[in-house]
Amino acid sequence: MQVSSRIRRSVICAAIVAAGAVSGGAWAQEKITVGALRFTSHAPTFIAYERGYFKQEGLDVELKFFQAAQPVAVAIASGDIDFGITALTGGYFNLADKGALKIVGGLFAEKKGYKGMAIMASNKAYAAGMTSPAKIKGHSVAITQVGSSFHFMTGMIAAKYGFAMSDVSLKPLQKVGSMIGAVKSGQVDAMMMVPHVAIPLDKAKAAKIIGWMSDLGPYQVTTIFTSTRNTAERQVQVKRFMRAYKKGIADYRAVMLNQKKDPAATEAMVKLIHKYVYADRPYEKAAPGIKAGAVYINEGAALDVGNVKKQLDWFKAQGLVKTKMTYKDLIATGYADMFDVPK
Amino acid sequence: MPEGPVPQARSVAFRGGGFAPRPVGIVGPIVFVTLLLLWELGSRTGWISALILPAPSAALGALEDLYRSGLLFKHLGASLERLVLGWCLGTLAGIGVGISAGLFSLARAGVVPLVSAIFPIPKIALLPLFIIWFGIGEASKVATIFFGVFFPTVIAVTGGIDNVDRGLVRMGQSFGLRWSSVVRKIILPGALPAILSGFRITASIAIILLVAAEMIGAEFGVGAYILMAGNLMATDQLIAGVAILSALGLGVGWLIGRAERFLLRWRG
Repeated sequence: MQVSSRIRRSVICAAIVAAGAVSGGAWAQEKITVGALRFTSHAPTFIAYERGYFKQEGLDVELKFFQAAQPVAVAIASGDIDFGITALTGGYFNLADKGALKIVGGLFAEKKGYKGMAIMASNKAYAAGMTSPAKIKGHSVAITQVGSSFHFMTGMIAAKYGFAMSDVSLKPLQKVGSMIGAVKSGQVDAMMMVPHVAIPLDKAKAAKIIGWMSDLGPYQVTTIFTSTRNTAERQVQVKRFMRAYKKGIADYRAVMLNQKKDPAATEAMVKLIHKYVYADRPYEKAAPGIKAGAVYINEGAALDVGNVKKQLDWFKAQGLVKTKMTYKDLIATGYADMFDVPK
Repeated sequence: MPEGPVPQARSVAFRGGGFAPRPVGIVGPIVFVTLLLLWELGSRTGWISALILPAPSAALGALEDLYRSGLLFKHLGASLERLVLGWCLGTLAGIGVGISAGLFSLARAGVVPLVSAIFPIPKIALLPLFIIWFGIGEASKVATIFFGVFFPTVIAVTGGIDNVDRGLVRMGQSFGLRWSSVVRKIILPGALPAILSGFRITASIAIILLVAAEMIGAEFGVGAYILMAGNLMATDQLIAGVAILSALGLGVGWLIGRAERFLLRWRG
C-alpha cells in the first residue's frame, strides 16, 4: 500500500511537472510594453488587455501610462516601450525623421456622421458674430502648443475656408485646461475640443459649438506606431500585436459606435474602460463622459495614408518640420489596411 | 609623562598657507572649450546619436538661422521686457515689504508666516488661475516673474537686516543718532551685501521662470522659443534657446557683480 501510494504520488508529480513544461513551452509569453493615455480614444488598448486578446497572441503586455502623447514617442524612440498611440504632430514628425519610428496602423479618425472634435467659439466672440468656422478668420485660436494637432486643425479650417494662417492669431497655452479657461473667460475666441468636454460646455452655455471637424473632410487623428527596430527585427511580434489590437477595435466598434443597440454590452464596456479612464471619479459620474468621448475608430486599424501625407506636407510647408522624408518613410506596411494611398 | 632625553630642537617647516583661492582666469574657458570639443567630436563620430543630443555645431546653426531670420532680437526683446519689468517690480515691492518686516515687529509677525506659506507654491501650478486673473497678455507673464522674485527678495532683505551687527546699532544709539539715521546710515548699508546676493538669486529665478511665464499664449520670447523647440522635438533649437538663457544669466551676473563693486565700495 505504502509503496503504491508513493509511486502514485510521484507519477502525479511527474505528470504535473510535464504538463507545466508543455504549457510553458506552448504559452511562452513575450514581454512587451505599450504606452497608453487615459483617454476613451485609447479604449481598444484597454479592451484587448482586459479581455486577454494579447495573451491569446502570446504577448505579455505591460501598460505604461503617460500624461501626454509626445513622451510616448520619445520612449519608443529610446527603446523603453514597444507600441504607442499618438496624434501626428510636428514633434512626432521630427522624431520620426531621426529614423526611429514607424506608423503601423490608424486609430481615431474624423468621419462624417460621427462626433469627433468640436469647433467652439467663446460666448463673447459668438455674440460678436463668429457663428461658423468660416468666420474664425481674423480671430484668436487657443491651441496647446505650436506643432500640435490643434495647430494642424486650425490649418485645416484655414485651408477649407480659404484664409491664411497669418489671418488668425494662435495662442499656445500648453494645457487643454488652460485652453478651456481662456475660451470660457472670453480671452481667446475659438478652440477645437474633444466631444466629451465640448458638449457639456455648450450645454452649460460656457461656450458655443459652431461646427465639427468631421464636416471639413477626412482627418486621421491618431495612429498606432512602434519602433523601426520592431518592424525590421520582430515582424511576427508586431503582427501578433496588431491582430490582438484589431480584436479590441472590433469589440469597441460593435458596442461604442452604436451605444443604444445593446445597453447591457455598452454598460459592461464602459465599466471596463472606467478602470483606466476617469478612474478617480465614481462610475455614475464617469460613464457619461466615457460614452460621449467614444470617437470613431477605423475598422481593422486601417490607415488613411493620403491624409498622413497631407499632414506631413502641411507641417513641412509651415516650416515646423524640416525633413527630406516622405510619407512612405513614416509608414511600415503589411500590418493593417492602407487606404487612400497616393499614386 | 614618559621620561627620556629632551628632544633636540628641530626646524619646523611652515605649515600655513593654502585655503586661499586665487584667480586663474584661463581655466574656466579651457574647461568650456574642451567639453564642447569632446561633445562635437562625439557627435561627429556618431558616438553620441543625434537623437540623444545634437552637436554643438547644429545648435550654433540653429542660432545662426534664428539671427538671420531676424527673430532673435524679437524673442530677446520680448523676454527682456518681461524680465526687467517683472524683476524690477518684484524687487521694489520685495524690498519695501522686507524692510518693514525687518524693522517693525508687527509687520514681521504678519509677513514672515505669509511668505513661508506662499513662497513654496510653484507658480507654474497657478498658471490656469493667472490666466483668469491677469489674462493671457503681458500682465500674466510679468506677474509670474513678479511673484517668483518678490518672496525671495523679502526673505533676503529681512535676513540681511537681521544680520546687521547689533553692536554697531547700539553704538549709533549711544552716540545719540536718531532712529531714521540709524536705519539710513547703519542698518541699510549693513544689510546691503545680503540684499545684493539676494539679487543674484532672484535674477536667476526670474530667468528660470521666463519659460514658465511664456507658457501662456506667448508668440515671441526666448521661453516661447524653447517651448516650441521642445514641442517640435527640434533639439538643436532647444539647445540654442537654452544657450541664450545661459548667456542671459551670465550677463545679469556680471551686471550684479558691477553693482556690488560700486555699491559696496565703502567696504574697501
